[in-house]
Amino acid sequence: MRKLRELENKWLNYKVKRVLLPLVKVSAVYLLGVSGYYAYDKQDTLFASAATPTMHNTKVLGVSMENNSTAKVMQREASAEVIEPVKAMLKKEEVRKEELKSLEKVTLTPVIPVIDMQKEERIKVVKKRASSHKKSSSKKRVASSKRASHLVKAKPNSYLTPKELGKMKQATPSKVNRNTPKEVHKTKKMHFTSTSVNYVEKIKSKFANSNNARDALLLAKLYYKKENFQEAEMWALRANKLNNKLEESWFMFAKSKAKLGKKHEALKILVTYYKKNHSSKAKQLIQAIKGGKL
Amino acid sequence: MNKSYEELKNVFVDMVDQSAYVELESTAYNYSVLESSLDKPLKMVLLYGKPGTGKSMLLNKLYHDMKAYREIHYFNSPILSEKEFLKSIYEAMSGQEIPTQMRVNFDALLKYCLKLKDKREVVFLLDECQLYSEALMEKIRLLSDTRVVKFVITLHKTDNEDVIAKEHFKTRIWEVIEMSNANEYDMEIYIQKKMIAEGFIDFFNLMKKKHFRYIHSHTKGNFRETNKYLYTLFDIYEYYEKNEPAKISKKKFSTKILEMAAIRLGYINA
Repeated sequence: MRKLRELENKWLNYKVKRVLLPLVKVSAVYLLGVSGYYAYDKQDTLFASAATPTMHNTKVLGVSMENNSTAKVMQREASAEVIEPVKAMLKKEEVRKEELKSLEKVTLTPVIPVIDMQKEERIKVVKKRASSHKKSSSKKRVASSKRASHLVKAKPNSYLTPKELGKMKQATPSKVNRNTPKEVHKTKKMHFTSTSVNYVEKIKSKFANSNNARDALLLAKLYYKKENFQEAEMWALRANKLNNKLEESWFMFAKSKAKLGKKHEALKILVTYYKKNHSSKAKQLIQAIKGGKL
Repeated sequence: MNKSYEELKNVFVDMVDQSAYVELESTAYNYSVLESSLDKPLKMVLLYGKPGTGKSMLLNKLYHDMKAYREIHYFNSPILSEKEFLKSIYEAMSGQEIPTQMRVNFDALLKYCLKLKDKREVVFLLDECQLYSEALMEKIRLLSDTRVVKFVITLHKTDNEDVIAKEHFKTRIWEVIEMSNANEYDMEIYIQKKMIAEGFIDFFNLMKKKHFRYIHSHTKGNFRETNKYLYTLFDIYEYYEKNEPAKISKKKFSTKILEMAAIRLGYINA
């Protein structure tokens, strides 16, 4: 009798061990899992909160920053709220703008393979003037050299080789140099209108073969010059789709939009671009559109 | 009903008895091999396996089946004294009782066997041969060489006993039968046949596959262990029936009691 009681107790212990232990193990694993999940979730929310400002801005702007899709931007309407943060932001950047002024000249390098002949001529003249001033009075020499060095630095796209520069230093007399700038200023402004009648068509066919973003941008620029803003917008968008890192495509698209009377959209696009790349050129363009100076 | 559980318990009392023999597929095969080997001109037959695999039961069955038409003698317990062993052999062969103060001379026994060559063939079934001394095993070997005496010996399968088998009998044993534990199915048949033979079919029907699987997991199909397990199981049943009948159901087999029996036998470390 007593032995069987003991046996029953042993059996009870055995059952407890057999049933409870796996339960405890399972619940421990479950708790670990749950706590792990919460820890992970918390970490996630921390990251999320850290990322909130960007997300907020994106939402306000109504533009997906991840995609950089201009098409999406086009579909959304700009609101009045958008302009306010832009204004504040622009004021803050005013001080910095002055410092960047000289640097901006460098960043303004044309992206499309069209050479600005007017600029080139000016550089040449300045260089000539600088060399002639060396031979004349010391005061003038110092002033001109300072100016020349500043300008050369700001415009790196000079097509003069060091040899050519050397020749210019030797040959050009000061009188001639003084006159040349006047002559240069008289030269006509460079236009995008090509000598070739079918230039646009040629570029189009070139684009059809190459599918190059730069060709599309060139077409956008040509249409923009012709004041065909719808076509310009379309080609700029195409260029942007092919290469969204092509800064000019953003600008051309925004400019076309602005010209078509969609200023809000143009601003939205530019602000989006500025937020991402902090391009001073974009900022300038924003100001120009806002001021109606486009 | 109390008597029923007591009777049921006693069905599984471990004993070597012809009535307790349960014919299973594996044992039936071994039996036929053993039976046919006795008809062959073999000197010795070795039956070996782990304890509880049914060697003694098989020898016992063979003895009872053949004693009617063959000269067969069964030594169910080992005779460790050489003097007693030789005396028992001689008495079995001659049918004469030797006085206690006299002994049998081994050389004289060999000569006696040689005289009977081609006239008689006497079969001796020796159980638990691992207990015999090496000297005695040597004498058994010499006796078998006369071809008048044939030995069927059983050995427990251990390393030492394997050595004995190899060293002493490797040239003489022509038939080796290995006995093994029952598989789950055979074990179930074994329990079923035992219970049904004693009229406990209703109780057997309460047992399910999972219960047999559980029993087999502990006994590994060893017949002796199975008997012990079931004996303990029905012993507990008997106790409850007598003292706390409310704790057992007559419609359902108690897994609790099955586990309790396992705890009692030390199969489970509770």
